[in-house]
Amino acid sequence: MEIAETLRDMGVDVAIPIFEETVEWAGAINSVLMDNPRLFGQAMLLRDKALMKRRAQLGGIRVGIFEEAHERDDVIRFLKRVNQTLMKLDGDPNDPIHIKAFDKAGCLGHRVIRTPDEIETIPDDDFPVLMESHLDGWEFAVEAWIHDGKIRFLNISEYVTLGYSVFVPATPELEQYRPEITRQVERLIKTFDIDFGFVHPEYFVTSDGEMYFGEVAYRPPGFKVFELLERSYGFNAYHGLVLAFDPKTTEEEIEDFFPKEVVDAKGHSGTFGVYPRRRVVSRLSVPEETEDHEYFESHELSSPLTEKVMKRTAFGNHWGLLYFFGDDPYTLRDLLKRQEELDFYI
Amino acid sequence: MSPLNSGGESLDRHLARLDDATQALADAGDFGKQVKLSRVFGALRRVLLLPGGCAAVRARAARLDIAGLFLGTDWARPQILIPTLSSGSLRSTNPDTVVLETVSNLRFLEVAKGDYVHPLVSAEQAHHHLSQVLAINLSLLFTPPTEAERTQQGRMAQLSRELLRHLVEEVGYEKVLENLVDEIWRILRQRPIQVESVKQMITQIAVARSNPDIDLGAGGLGADRLISSLYGTTDACREDPGVEVYRARLETMDDSGLQYETAGFARSMHDTGLVSPYHAVLLRFLLGKGEYLLGEALGLSSTGRECLLCYHELVRKLIDEAVHVETAQSIYGLALMLERGILYQPPVAPALWRQLALQLSAYSRQRLTQAFGPDPAPHARLLSGMLSVLGLPLGIGQGDNPTCQSARALSMWAYNDPDYLLQTLAWAARDDEIVMHFEGDSISSRDSATGLATELPMDLDPLSLLVVPHLDRIYAEMGRRCADRDGDPHRWVNPEFHGWWSGRGFRINVDVATGNLTDLDEFLRHFYAGYHPFHNGNQPLIHPQPAGVAVTDSAARFVGWHAITILRVALDPQERMRVYFYNPNNDSGQDWGDGVVVGTAGHGERFGEASLPFEQFASRLYIFHFDPLEPGEQASVAREELDRVVGYVHRSWGATRLSTG
Repeated sequence: MEIAETLRDMGVDVAIPIFEETVEWAGAINSVLMDNPRLFGQAMLLRDKALMKRRAQLGGIRVGIFEEAHERDDVIRFLKRVNQTLMKLDGDPNDPIHIKAFDKAGCLGHRVIRTPDEIETIPDDDFPVLMESHLDGWEFAVEAWIHDGKIRFLNISEYVTLGYSVFVPATPELEQYRPEITRQVERLIKTFDIDFGFVHPEYFVTSDGEMYFGEVAYRPPGFKVFELLERSYGFNAYHGLVLAFDPKTTEEEIEDFFPKEVVDAKGHSGTFGVYPRRRVVSRLSVPEETEDHEYFESHELSSPLTEKVMKRTAFGNHWGLLYFFGDDPYTLRDLLKRQEELDFYI
Repeated sequence: MSPLNSGGESLDRHLARLDDATQALADAGDFGKQVKLSRVFGALRRVLLLPGGCAAVRARAARLDIAGLFLGTDWARPQILIPTLSSGSLRSTNPDTVVLETVSNLRFLEVAKGDYVHPLVSAEQAHHHLSQVLAINLSLLFTPPTEAERTQQGRMAQLSRELLRHLVEEVGYEKVLENLVDEIWRILRQRPIQVESVKQMITQIAVARSNPDIDLGAGGLGADRLISSLYGTTDACREDPGVEVYRARLETMDDSGLQYETAGFARSMHDTGLVSPYHAVLLRFLLGKGEYLLGEALGLSSTGRECLLCYHELVRKLIDEAVHVETAQSIYGLALMLERGILYQPPVAPALWRQLALQLSAYSRQRLTQAFGPDPAPHARLLSGMLSVLGLPLGIGQGDNPTCQSARALSMWAYNDPDYLLQTLAWAARDDEIVMHFEGDSISSRDSATGLATELPMDLDPLSLLVVPHLDRIYAEMGRRCADRDGDPHRWVNPEFHGWWSGRGFRINVDVATGNLTDLDEFLRHFYAGYHPFHNGNQPLIHPQPAGVAVTDSAARFVGWHAITILRVALDPQERMRVYFYNPNNDSGQDWGDGVVVGTAGHGERFGEASLPFEQFASRLYIFHFDPLEPGEQASVAREELDRVVGYVHRSWGATRLSTG
């Protein structure tokens, strides 16, 4: 609490979380700064994936089946239960389940489990974990800036391949769900009592148009989506974060700041997270095919520090991002997909 | 059609992206610039590769500079940039480094043309910088990328070439040549043993001159002398006829004709420090003639001539074995060795006979062949290298290796104890082993683990090539044996490693544990008392002494600790007290910042010596040795003088080492 008091003495009005790990810090500080102890509880809720799902369920939001696991046996039981529910017979291929660390950002610690053998590969350190049934559907993410309980800007980020690539704004196929997505996010902010700030939820839309809630984070998204938004719309998303979090921001300031979704975008921008495909690499070599593409903008790949590539555990830990920008969302989508087949480290 | 060749439209589109990215960079606060940089780099890389890209970026150079492209790098302070380093940057495997260097040079061009008024660099400085950059990277203009460059740099190799083409169109060959010639003379005045890179530069000038498409203008007056010293030194080889023809011409000459030839070669050799391959042909031919012409061909004074007459059989044998067209440079070493009179030291002549008969180990032969090719035989290659080292002890360079101590030891022995040098050479070349002693225990280079160099050095003269790896390992082993002692290991290692004449007394002005300056005043007073003739009873330095300096860059920032040899302290022609020293680094002419510029010529330096005024030298010194039996009274140095030295220290490497306590 010393930090909160020090900040208050320095004239600070609000703390804004930038990374996953700072969400509860910001919540704790804000509960002091704004004299509202519930803000800390809210932050904890948004940090713990299991609590978060329960809260969502209580609020009438559709979620998949989920359970907490404290040891490997829990995972085996859950895998069996889920497939039993799906009325699979012995010998049918299992539907996979997902397991995630409670309190890690995005894809870190996220694994897909199909068979009991795979459960052995989970390190002890990862427990406890959250287990979820697999949802067949189109996964996407939303970034929403909230001020005074209302959504002020809502972006839909389309994943080309989860853990590899994302672009904004989404294709018209996904944007057609915008009204339904907006309703979902409104329900989410109500359920979680969010008046000011920013949320980054993930959803699945199934083939019949039903939305399932995946999870929500109370901080900027990964894969440099804020950079992408700035490239497409020209506003600084962090600046937007500051405005939205600050209860003192006026209605006019908010109105002036945010552009109109989709129509105001100058183009589509996307990132691709590079992961070496070979087991042994010696240097960085961006393929000319990529570098020469009209949409290619830049990369932040660095030369390899070790020759041996660690086996990729779960999702995440890419070696750097590629940035693309162009007019046509379909060209961009195909381009991002194509990058998965190229070697950036040889 | 590939997007690279699609001309103007593509360039416009990429320029629009560049401008957009530059704007984003300019708008970002200082802490956020790093994030915006990669887009600017991406856009620059593509624009620069397009036709007209250099000109377009040049027009934007000022904007890029102000937006903060260079922020946080050395390029942010263009006044400290050193043209020589550009060749490393332009050949870098990191594309961003190539882009930074390229944009920086285009910025200099804007400044030079008066289109960008830079607060830190004047138009003249910019112009001067560019012509030096061009001179040093001339090879990029004339030669397509080598296979190695292509694999390491990819298309970026093309980018550096585009830059130089653009620069030379604007600056002109005339200036370039002038700078290049100046640079070559500056290096040659230090009389390095390895002159391959100098020869390559001269060859490039010669090629450029004979190319009718390149207008060199009237620039580069000294170029003729350089080219002729290699390719057309005398009348009989003026048109570079080839060694066979030249040899045939010698056959038909009478003695007066031959004397004319010898005089021509000797003058050129002593003037430039370069030896023409024709000179080797002549010298071998003269083996069949009398001593008089041999002496003339070596350009000997009465001292050297005496030595030649005294040891004529040995000298003839050395010429016969060591001097070939490929090793012509050793003629200069031979001549200077005779001039030094070291053959009169009793062990030296017999040691040279041992070297002539020495059987090289298979490993030694393989190393020499690998580095220098099969012709002439490794044995001859090593002899020629030995002659160069004995003739030019201060011309030894450490190459691109962290082995300054080993290079310094070799130089010190060649200078002060040639007998010992020849002994270590015999051990290394014949036995693949050198044994030295440290505090009574013997240390074999064979049993010692790795040295400071992690890879075997290849870019050295033949003698260093064989001996340095052994010395490096022994030196490192001596260091390891002092690892658990308090204080700096050089205290014990230096005297044991270099020879009995390095003083056992030792002073350091840096606290090893904290890295802070300590006892600076006492350190300086002691150094004055030991080395400054006005404070030590006018006693000239007797033996070369190892010393350590804190090397700083042109902005006076600390770069690293470096081993040098103090050779003499004397008044220069301007009556200023100077320290003359040997720096194993390949080019001693360095700008250490804050006005401390190491001289290599023009202040009474002998060939290969570096020099600084006493005060400036003292300000970069951090380790020296002295004889503990001498009284070592602290010198009564005037306070103002001491303060000046301390000022230099505090403004440079000492700035961050002031203890707070």
